[in-house]
Amino acid sequence: MARVDLQNVTKDWGTAVAVDDISLDLKDGEFVAVLGPSGCGKSTTLFMLAGIYAPSSGDIRFDGARVNDVEARDRNVGIVFQSYALYPNMTVLQNILFPLRFKKVPRTDAEREAREIARLVQIENLLDRRPGQLSGGQQQRVALARALVKKPNLLLLDEPLSNLDATLRLSMRAEIRRIQRELGVTTILVTHDQIEATTMADRIICMNAGRVEQIGTPTDLYRAPETTFVAAFIGSPPINLIDARLAGDTLEIGDKRLRATGAGADHGGPVKLGLRPEHIREAEAGSATAGLAATITASEPMGRETLYTADTPIGSLHFLEATSMPRLAPGAKLSLTFDGDDSLVFDAATTRLMHGVCAHV
Amino acid sequence: MTAIDWNRLATRARRGRRVRSGLLLAFLTLVSLPVILPFFWVVVISVSARTGGVEAAVLWKACAVLVPCVLAYAGVHTFIASVRARIIAGLLLGGLCLIGLYVLIGADLHLNNYRFLVNPNLIEDIRGAATIGGQFPWVWEAFGNSLLVAITSMTLKVIVATLAGYYLSRFAFRGRSFFLQSLLLLEVFHPWMLTIPIFLVIFWVGLLNTLSGPILVLTVIDLPFYIFIMKGFFDAVPWDIEMSAMTDGATRRQAFRHVVLPQVRGGIIAISVLGFIKGWEEYVFVTALRTGNSYWVMSTYLYYVAEDVMGVDYGLVAAVSVFYMLPSLLLYLFLQKYLTQLTLGGVKG
Amino acid sequence: MPSSASARQASNALIFLGPAIILLFALLVVPIVVDLVVAFTDMAQTVTIGEFTTRQFNKLVRPSDDAWFGFELRGSFYRALSLTAIYVFCTLTIFNITFGLILALTTTALSDRLGAFFRAVWLLPRMSPSVVYGLLWIWVVDPTERGLLNQVLINVFGLEPINMMLDHPMVLIVMANGFIGASIGMLILTSAIRSIPKHLFHAARADGAGPMAITWHIVLPALRWPLSYITVFQTLSLLVSFEYIFLIMGASRSTMTMAMLAYTKTLAPDIGSGQYAYGAAITLILIVIGMATAMFMWRMSNMKALLAKPKIEVQ
Repeated sequence: MARVDLQNVTKDWGTAVAVDDISLDLKDGEFVAVLGPSGCGKSTTLFMLAGIYAPSSGDIRFDGARVNDVEARDRNVGIVFQSYALYPNMTVLQNILFPLRFKKVPRTDAEREAREIARLVQIENLLDRRPGQLSGGQQQRVALARALVKKPNLLLLDEPLSNLDATLRLSMRAEIRRIQRELGVTTILVTHDQIEATTMADRIICMNAGRVEQIGTPTDLYRAPETTFVAAFIGSPPINLIDARLAGDTLEIGDKRLRATGAGADHGGPVKLGLRPEHIREAEAGSATAGLAATITASEPMGRETLYTADTPIGSLHFLEATSMPRLAPGAKLSLTFDGDDSLVFDAATTRLMHGVCAHV
Repeated sequence: MTAIDWNRLATRARRGRRVRSGLLLAFLTLVSLPVILPFFWVVVISVSARTGGVEAAVLWKACAVLVPCVLAYAGVHTFIASVRARIIAGLLLGGLCLIGLYVLIGADLHLNNYRFLVNPNLIEDIRGAATIGGQFPWVWEAFGNSLLVAITSMTLKVIVATLAGYYLSRFAFRGRSFFLQSLLLLEVFHPWMLTIPIFLVIFWVGLLNTLSGPILVLTVIDLPFYIFIMKGFFDAVPWDIEMSAMTDGATRRQAFRHVVLPQVRGGIIAISVLGFIKGWEEYVFVTALRTGNSYWVMSTYLYYVAEDVMGVDYGLVAAVSVFYMLPSLLLYLFLQKYLTQLTLGGVKG
Repeated sequence: MPSSASARQASNALIFLGPAIILLFALLVVPIVVDLVVAFTDMAQTVTIGEFTTRQFNKLVRPSDDAWFGFELRGSFYRALSLTAIYVFCTLTIFNITFGLILALTTTALSDRLGAFFRAVWLLPRMSPSVVYGLLWIWVVDPTERGLLNQVLINVFGLEPINMMLDHPMVLIVMANGFIGASIGMLILTSAIRSIPKHLFHAARADGAGPMAITWHIVLPALRWPLSYITVFQTLSLLVSFEYIFLIMGASRSTMTMAMLAYTKTLAPDIGSGQYAYGAAITLILIVIGMATAMFMWRMSNMKALLAKPKIEVQ
């Protein structure tokens, strides 16, 4: 298994820069998710690790050695592609045996290993079929088996679940995680689905427009997003971001003033206030602080919870309530509040989080 | 698990890549030389040969300048990644090449062989009036006829193939599968196979010795293939845009003209280029469907010029060849990107 | 209003399909029938039919008790048949398929622009007029020291000049047709290689396959259909092609294939002698071969995709 690091890696296609100066390192046996919207350069990064694309500048290192020029076939990396990329002219067994052919594994050993891995991903009864006769989920398992059979240093998963339906996705998520733990292989998962990333990965690398926005545990990214992009990308329904102005210990939003803590008296300028819908709630009657006077404009039942939209003095806010039936009708008036510790304040110019700065109602 | 020597692998990979692309380039250059050299040769002859024979020295001198320049440019392309450096190197080498050509063969170049373009009676002046091919016209008459044949047959072919391709792609009608199967069958019968009976048919309907004969036959050459190509292009147009045009009140014919046709522009251009080049180069049917010299086109003109003055004036024959090649090659060069869109057409399985 | 709908249907068919049907019928179907009739007549230079006879076929074969099927091929026809077989087989296997495949594989392995450049070079013969192309070959193989081939042989390799037309006529016409045939194979196979999903190549590389293994396990299996398409269609088109043979070799006996025989006996400029019925008889044999091939094609091609039903029912 391998320790992998990228140092200032850039991929310039000539017409566009797909990956812009990213650096990261992966510990042996770690499961890392690269999360970002489509076109953010996450798949390009993955293909550079596999040796399919060559970086324009920067170094890729396996166990400390520079591997930029090493051919894909020598890197001992297993990939599962979004389209699975099974060889259509070969049976499932032949597909799984294909990587072993080039490792000069004796035929009988190869077959034993292939059957072993097939049992691990639970496709031992499909070995004689062709990829065209398999369902999406089965093809996915074959692709996984093919990637794992050669005991790779590094397992790369390129949106492996995006072509599966919702229930299958749920079970495959747990399955992949189980197999990864069992084999202890360093794994990188590329995905645009935050749930996938947060449920499966030890660490998440959040990318946008070719750059790394933040690297951290799922909790880090949720509790303390480094940038407004991460704040908006992680969390569902998405965070409320409100334009505001910080002046010492007050936060000005239109005519409304909120109390700010943690900022020095001389701090000032345009900021964005981030409030997660699940952190906003109705103020208890008779509470000491006055809440934000709000009028409900829309309610959306989301199954277990209800998402409300409300007009408030600081703008339109989304907030969640843990009731399956909408309790409030549009037009209803109420008072909203939130805990200062849950609020996030970002510098509007740099979009970066201002650590320790909180807003209070 | 043993440690992997990544540095050794990287060195091996770098060497492997270089050797592989070097070998590929060398192989392709070597096998392509026999293809491109004769064409280059005929151009060189046309601008350098003087009455009497072919002076090969000019060709080799020109090659002595061009080959190093081209190789140097290929080297630049392989080893330098920067686009700007490539452009500068290209311009530099181009300039060097021109200077070299001027110094080595500049004195040999002349345009005298192209005098056939301005002298209507050139062949007769060289060989006397009674030649094998009979009375030669001025080259522009043949040029005009060739243009007429090529453009008319191209237009007919494109219209017929587009209409039929659309109908077969989009309309349900009785006998559709029968028609498609017959078309597949007819694709097998190249008119070359049927030269003799086609001659008889054209003779019986009285179109022998007119340009209409070759034009009609040229329209039919590869017509099933063209219909399948157009059907393939129409198949690729999403149904939704046509359905929405019809819900917006268009009839099918209006939807075809205003919505679908613009979508297959690439296909129409591609088959137009192919159709024109075919009509421009046609030799078999323009000679088979005439008796005597009732009409002249470029192919017969070149054929008889070569027959009559070969051995006397290579430069002239070469000049006529270059003049004849030029339109189709230019068309091909400029519209090449459309031709690459063509696939096997509708019969792809 | 069913009547107006059916009227529109008829007029649509007439407008869209009519021209194609008329042209194909008049210049492909009718000639096939004409050929069928004329082959059994004595039609010659006067283009009139005197009597119906099987005389033309007697020129090709004669009854014999010893031979298979009770017929024996006559000398000139036997010669034409074997020359045709050699010509078609060699051109097809060496150039149209093998060399076309090599060109497609090597040009797609290069960068896009470089590959396109070499493909453009190879398309040069196909895009230039046939008379020019024929002339080029005549000049290249000129038996004197002026010919390009001999210049190269003498100056580069220090060999004796050779006379291709006289000593190796079949090699000459195989190469002349092959240079063009290779470009067709190259084009079809290139587009087939391009349509292989990129991820398959990536997966194979990550699985440890080198360029050779990728060619063998990924590319070649995907070329099975295009290769059989090329084989069938190019066999047919080589079978009936005579243009380049005639332009380079003229009416030489050494390259008198079946199509050439039919052409020179009837319509070839200056030498065609108008033996239309004889030519028609040879053509009939080619037609029969064509029919058989077409039947084979039907079994091979994907008729279901071709015959997929249209989605709009309105006319």
